[in-house]
Parts: sequence; C-alpha cells; structure tokens
Amino acid sequence: MKKMTKANFIILVVFVVFGIVLGVQIKQKVPYFTPVTLNSIETTKYEIDNINKEIEELKLMLKDKEEKIQLYENIARDDKNIIDLLDKELKKTKLIAGFVDVKGPGIIVKMEDNNSEDAFGQSYDLDLIHDADVLRIINDLKEAGAEAISINGQRVLSISEIKCGGPIIRINGKSIGTPIYIKAIGDPKLLSAAINAPNTYGYALKNIDQLIIETEIVDEVIIPGYSANFEFKYAKPIKEGD
Amino acid sequence: MIKLFYAAIGVLIGIIIGLILPFTYSVTYSLYISVAILACLDSVFGGIRANLEGNFDLGIFISGFFGNAVLAAFLAYLGDRLGVPLYYAAIFTFGGRLFENFANIRRILIKKSKRNKQ
Repeated sequence: MKKMTKANFIILVVFVVFGIVLGVQIKQKVPYFTPVTLNSIETTKYEIDNINKEIEELKLMLKDKEEKIQLYENIARDDKNIIDLLDKELKKTKLIAGFVDVKGPGIIVKMEDNNSEDAFGQSYDLDLIHDADVLRIINDLKEAGAEAISINGQRVLSISEIKCGGPIIRINGKSIGTPIYIKAIGDPKLLSAAINAPNTYGYALKNIDQLIIETEIVDEVIIPGYSANFEFKYAKPIKEGD
Repeated sequence: MIKLFYAAIGVLIGIIIGLILPFTYSVTYSLYISVAILACLDSVFGGIRANLEGNFDLGIFISGFFGNAVLAAFLAYLGDRLGVPLYYAAIFTFGGRLFENFANIRRILIKKSKRNKQ
C-alpha cells in the first residue's frame, strides 16, 4: 500500500468525525418531530394558564378547608360553639341558595311593551317584551356581577324558569305581566352599564325595537327570597369517598 | 479513487466508534444534528462528483463540509427560536443538491464504463 498522503489523512479524519456524528445520531432514539405551529403554542399556553389558575383556586380551597378543620378541632375541645357554628353555616348556605330576603345597592330595570300608536315594524310581535328578552337582560346582569335578581318579586335562582305564556311570562310557576320590574343587587354602575351601554342587548331593545326600558339606580334594593317549595327528586348528592 | 477508499474506511470507523461511545445528547438537539448530517452528506456527494470530474479541492471540500453543517444546524436553531421551520430551507436545498450530485455521478460513471467497453 502506498504511503498515506496528507490530503488522504485529512479526509480520513474528517470522515471519522462524520461517522462518529452519524453513529451517535443513529444510536439516539429520535422521536418523530412534527412542526409546531404558533397557533398550537398559543393554545397550549392558554391551557397552561387555565390549569395554573385552577391550581391557584384549589390552593385557596385547600387553605379554606384547613381553616375549617382547625375550627372543628377547636370545637371538639369544647363543644359549646357547635350550635352557633352550624347556625351560622345554615344562614350562609341559605343566603347562597337564595332562600333569604336580601338588600343592598343595585338597580331596578323596568321593561314595558311599546304602547305608542306608530309601533315599530309591521308585526305587533316586535312591540312586546318576550321571555327571551328578559332572559338576555338577566344574563347581562349576571355577567355584570349581579348577586341577587328578582322579577316582579320572584327570586331568580338557577332552577327558575322564564317561559313565555302568551301575553304573560311565567317564572317560578307564577305568571307575571308587563310592566316587568327586574331588581338586581350588585355594583350599580356596572349593572346599569350592562343595560344601557351601547351595543348591549338592553340598548338595542330600547333604541331599535323602541321598547320601554328604564333603569333606576337605587341605594337599597330589597329582593325577596325564593318562596316556593323545592325538593330534589332526581338529583342526589354524591357522598365523599364514593 | 484512493480518496474514496479512505473516506469509506473513515466513515466505518467513525460509525463504530459512535455506536460504542457512551455519549448521547439531549433529544432536543437531534433535529439540528440531523440537518447538519444532511448538509455533510451533500458535501460528500459533491466531493465524490468533483473527484470523478477531476477538480477535487481539499480546502473547498472541508470548508463546505463543516460550513454547511454549521449553517444548517444554525438555521434550524434560528427557525426554532423564531417559530418558523427554517430547517426546511436546509432540507430542500441540500436534499435537492444531493440528488443533483448523485445524478451527475451516475452520468459520469456510465459514460466511463461505456468508454471502457469500446
């Protein structure tokens, strides 16, 4: 064999290096890479944010429960407080459930049919307050942070139906007619804006459909509790540990 | 032709060393290395072609070999940072040239064998 020239030696070295890189890469179990689009990165970020928020909430809840355990332990040492505590809890639960009369700052929304002669549109249907209108308004109020809502004295709960009944609207099994007074407790400015701000549903009803929508900010709105009897027939609570 | 022989021996030795070495890197870098290997392959085919055509230059070969590899890996890395799959540029360029070079090598070899028969 001829003596190795310098050029050949360099080639040999270069290819040895190349071979090493190849060999290591072959040895590596490379998973299949798919190109990640910006969109999917964005979605994943959003998901991570959501999960982080959830974790925060769970941590808060954990803290709350720990405090409660502390409380129960204190009670276990001397059992005088237990009735007080249960009473307090019952009141709180009733308040959250909406079975108690509440008062606070808020607004009163009056909704009335368009009674003028030159009614809007050709169909008289358009001049009436419908169940759907009330529903949308109530949803807007809830979104603006309403803590308690009533319609003509009927408390609106998660189980309350708002249903068309011809010229009237049925809620909680009771019939109500126009004018409809919706009372809501919450931040009065926010609640008022939810009805009156441009591009809200209330604004459209008032200015396009020419219905009578009036809001009044009141320092003390009184909202009655849910008065009808309600019992769960089908829904049963899941016991912890099940 | 003696160069090709050295090259083949070198690659074989290298692969064996690479397989034996207990050395691995993070999977994240695999993409960059893959693109770099593609660039190297392109240089190798270019080198073989130049060798057959008789105008092989060691300096050009080595600078191309390492330069292309580094540039391709850097492009892939930059693309990852920017969110644009820039390594496609390397894959298309080097992949395309690889086949081009191979086609040329084929032609040269076939012409040579025909000439030898005559």
